[in-house]
Amino acid sequence: MDFGRRAFLQFAAGAVGGTLLSPLPWQLAADSARWSQNWSWRPSPERGEVTKVAGVCTMCEGGCAIQARLVNGNRAILIEGNPANPLTEGGICALGASGLQFLYAPYRISKPMKQTKSRGDMSGLQPISWDEALAELGKKLAKMRADGKSHEVAAITSNRPSSMADLWLQFFTSYGSPNLFRMPSAVDGLKLAAQLTTGKASPFAFALAKSEYVLSFGSNLFEGAGAAIIAFPALRRWTRGGKRSVKLVQVESRCSMTASKADQFLAVAPGTEAALAMGIAHLMVRSGHYDVDFVKNNVFGFEDWTDEAGKNRQGFKKLVTSAAYSPEEVAKLTGLGADQIELVAREFAERQNAVAIWAVGQPDNANGAYHQMAFAALNVLKGNLKPNGLMSLSPVVPLAGLPLVQKDAAAEKSLQRLRLDAAKSRPVQFQQYGLYEFLDSVRTGSKYPVEILMVHEANPLYSMPENGLFQEALAKVPTLISFSSYMDETAARADLILPDHASLERYDDVAGIPCASFSYYAVSAPVTKPLLDTKHTGEVLLTLAGSLGDPVGASMPWKSYEEYLKFRVEGLAQSRKGAVADKPDVQILNLSAGESVQPNFSSGAELWKKLKAGSCWYDAPALTTGFDTASGKIELACRLIAINGAPAADDKLYLPHFELVSPSGSETEFPLLLVAYKPSFTAADYFPTSPFMNKLIPDSTLRGEDAFVELHPETAAKFDFSQGELVSLKTIQGEAAVRINISAAARPGVVYLPKGLGHKAYDRYIQGKGTNANSLMEVQLDPVSSVGTVWACRAQLRRV
Amino acid sequence: MNQKKSSSSANKPLGVVFFLLGFIGALAVGWIVFPNLLYSKKAQPINFSHVAHQSEDCESCHSLRADGTYGGIPRIERCRECHESAQGSSEAEAKLISDYLEKNREVPWKVYAWQPDNVYFSHAPHKGQGLECTRCHREVSKEEKLPPYRENLITGYSISTMKMVECEKCHADKGASNNCEICHK
Repeated sequence: MDFGRRAFLQFAAGAVGGTLLSPLPWQLAADSARWSQNWSWRPSPERGEVTKVAGVCTMCEGGCAIQARLVNGNRAILIEGNPANPLTEGGICALGASGLQFLYAPYRISKPMKQTKSRGDMSGLQPISWDEALAELGKKLAKMRADGKSHEVAAITSNRPSSMADLWLQFFTSYGSPNLFRMPSAVDGLKLAAQLTTGKASPFAFALAKSEYVLSFGSNLFEGAGAAIIAFPALRRWTRGGKRSVKLVQVESRCSMTASKADQFLAVAPGTEAALAMGIAHLMVRSGHYDVDFVKNNVFGFEDWTDEAGKNRQGFKKLVTSAAYSPEEVAKLTGLGADQIELVAREFAERQNAVAIWAVGQPDNANGAYHQMAFAALNVLKGNLKPNGLMSLSPVVPLAGLPLVQKDAAAEKSLQRLRLDAAKSRPVQFQQYGLYEFLDSVRTGSKYPVEILMVHEANPLYSMPENGLFQEALAKVPTLISFSSYMDETAARADLILPDHASLERYDDVAGIPCASFSYYAVSAPVTKPLLDTKHTGEVLLTLAGSLGDPVGASMPWKSYEEYLKFRVEGLAQSRKGAVADKPDVQILNLSAGESVQPNFSSGAELWKKLKAGSCWYDAPALTTGFDTASGKIELACRLIAINGAPAADDKLYLPHFELVSPSGSETEFPLLLVAYKPSFTAADYFPTSPFMNKLIPDSTLRGEDAFVELHPETAAKFDFSQGELVSLKTIQGEAAVRINISAAARPGVVYLPKGLGHKAYDRYIQGKGTNANSLMEVQLDPVSSVGTVWACRAQLRRV
Repeated sequence: MNQKKSSSSANKPLGVVFFLLGFIGALAVGWIVFPNLLYSKKAQPINFSHVAHQSEDCESCHSLRADGTYGGIPRIERCRECHESAQGSSEAEAKLISDYLEKNREVPWKVYAWQPDNVYFSHAPHKGQGLECTRCHREVSKEEKLPPYRENLITGYSISTMKMVECEKCHADKGASNNCEICHK
């Protein structure tokens, strides 16, 4: 038997036939298709029992109630609003809904890192153990304290009201450094206005839900994170039964989301909102349409007054009724018609429950001290500062106070050093609020150096307007320590990174909602166990305090952050004030100021249990009684203002008035004004824009890597720019390539650049997209306070 | 020429033999060798005797949750209810206690009927149709030893992972929809 060529072919034919009649080829074909379903990089969701756990969002100062969907009690798969919360009723903003994308973000920092090469070199960031990192830092802090250099340690923290802020202050006070600062915020302006006019340390707050006519000077009520928790419950009431019962008048230069949802939009020139406020006050006072009794009995400086030296000074009445604030003059300043001003003034004066609001939800503080006072003055004229009025002072949540710091000689000596933000020329300097003065002082080295700068829950290198100042100051600081959970711009430049847990992995709290008149407190318990080798920054501070020994350790005696929060809640329980909103129909917004709320908890442990389960604590608005000013009244002639410690020469300098600090640069070189705005679909603070939010960004805001500036059709025609054209945007701070979006939402002569774009850190999905508006903007400090003002800067657009 | 012809005709029966050899060989490889090569045999981490747990019916362990989702294989907490301390002397139980219960770890069971992630399958409506478990799953009432888990080396799925055609056939027979989004949501 010969197995020749022919036999082989016969065999092969048989084999082919047999194979075709077997499952082999068909199975292989089908399996190769199924194989593609199991490629290793394909996400495979964990299977198991799905449960829900209630929590609180701590990604902005809002503190909205959330619930997380978990698989097998650990793997979080969805964040949604908690319908059981009486304020949010299940509502949530785009940032809060993206919570998980930050928990599982690829740019999270997985372990402590130390820079071994030059600052900013990512290859030099090497892992270091927690023990090693904390021992090294503890030793350095102890040495600086022993050398009498405690004041050379500084920190920049988040501006969110929480127990963490109090713990930082406790640490710095006991350690002996006065140089603790918080990131700037629009609420700083409300605090400034309240301090100047009432002498109280709490910022102004508004009873939005009780208002029937809301005159909003640039507030961002409907632009996402920040104001959502107060704006949405108010909006629900305003539109009850499908009919709008409240009139919202929005005053700003750009047709924002809030303006488009308002009943009336008054498009004023940028920065002239306060001029309109003065114009309205002018008409109210002149016509006698204001709360005469309230002003007579409770206001100092409305009429002419005499200063301590016996000099007769002009009062607000005379100033505001002068021709400078006549409708015609204000019309020239604002660009509105005199008749429009008269109409809005009449409505504001005549309508019941009318309130003037500002700064609510705004990304930056847009007004200087005198403008803040002008807005407050409108509410004073309406009598809104009466007990139970529409404007009040933010209530202080009665949490347990931290133990008195036992300062030793080292701390006392260092604390006596002048704060780095101290400037003699400014009469109002809140502790922790003078970030710009501080950075300027570090940059110039005019006072004393900063050896260690700590940054917690903040990304100043990106999110601080005029962020170049931080960069310049940083060059003078030998050690930057970041506590960020994410590889943000600031963390990437750090010399040591001690990563915090993500917000869904840690204990945190919400100690009041900015701009809300009612009292609110919530505990954010961890939704899931920490995924990475991170540590709660609160516990890092407790460990460092312990390692420094007494009296620093004794000032911070808690073993864990959870224990510290329990201690604070125990104090809240002992105050016997407020109640837990454990039902969705609790009418928090209906409460009158000073109204007694029956507590529905009997002990601290019970209150803790309820708060940990995701319910919030609430109490009635604070009853405004008495003012801490020299006169004991509301001061429209604010005697706190004495420029350079001496009486001001000009009477106007004590009074609310319109005074726009001119932006730098020449008008011929920079013929346009640049205004930065924050759309609802970007995040511009500590958190970057999430992948969910990226999908919401329209092509008219960002396309590819180019951001768009909004330009009015007339302005575009004047410069002969076409839609989508690539141009160069230049200010005295910097230059960037942007595209033109011709939009009627813009005001002629003004360029609008969105905030939240142009990151240089995180991952490739975030970085390099658009331009960071903060790098182009200019910050101005007014003569009264060290609170920075960001309203506009001069700009030019030219073809590239 | 003639010689060649005769030689060719003489080889004819032999040619059929070669053909059959190839044919039968390929059938054997395709039907017997290939399936054995394609599917690996993997042992379960510990044995589970369904017979030993017969005091309870299927659904007391493989139950639907309150929200209508299917619980699948019970988690370790269910085992703990009875096996916190040893009930017998089997090796499997000793391992269950030492390796899983004491360490509070889930038993990494290999699931015979694991369905792909791109398929949405709910037990609830199928149960509602009166289908017996054994319509799709193996009969386990007399099973003392878990069979080896056979994993497809190419796809990573179990040999028992149901193919789409089987779903479609039954849906067609029962008059249920075969629209894509019924299963691929």
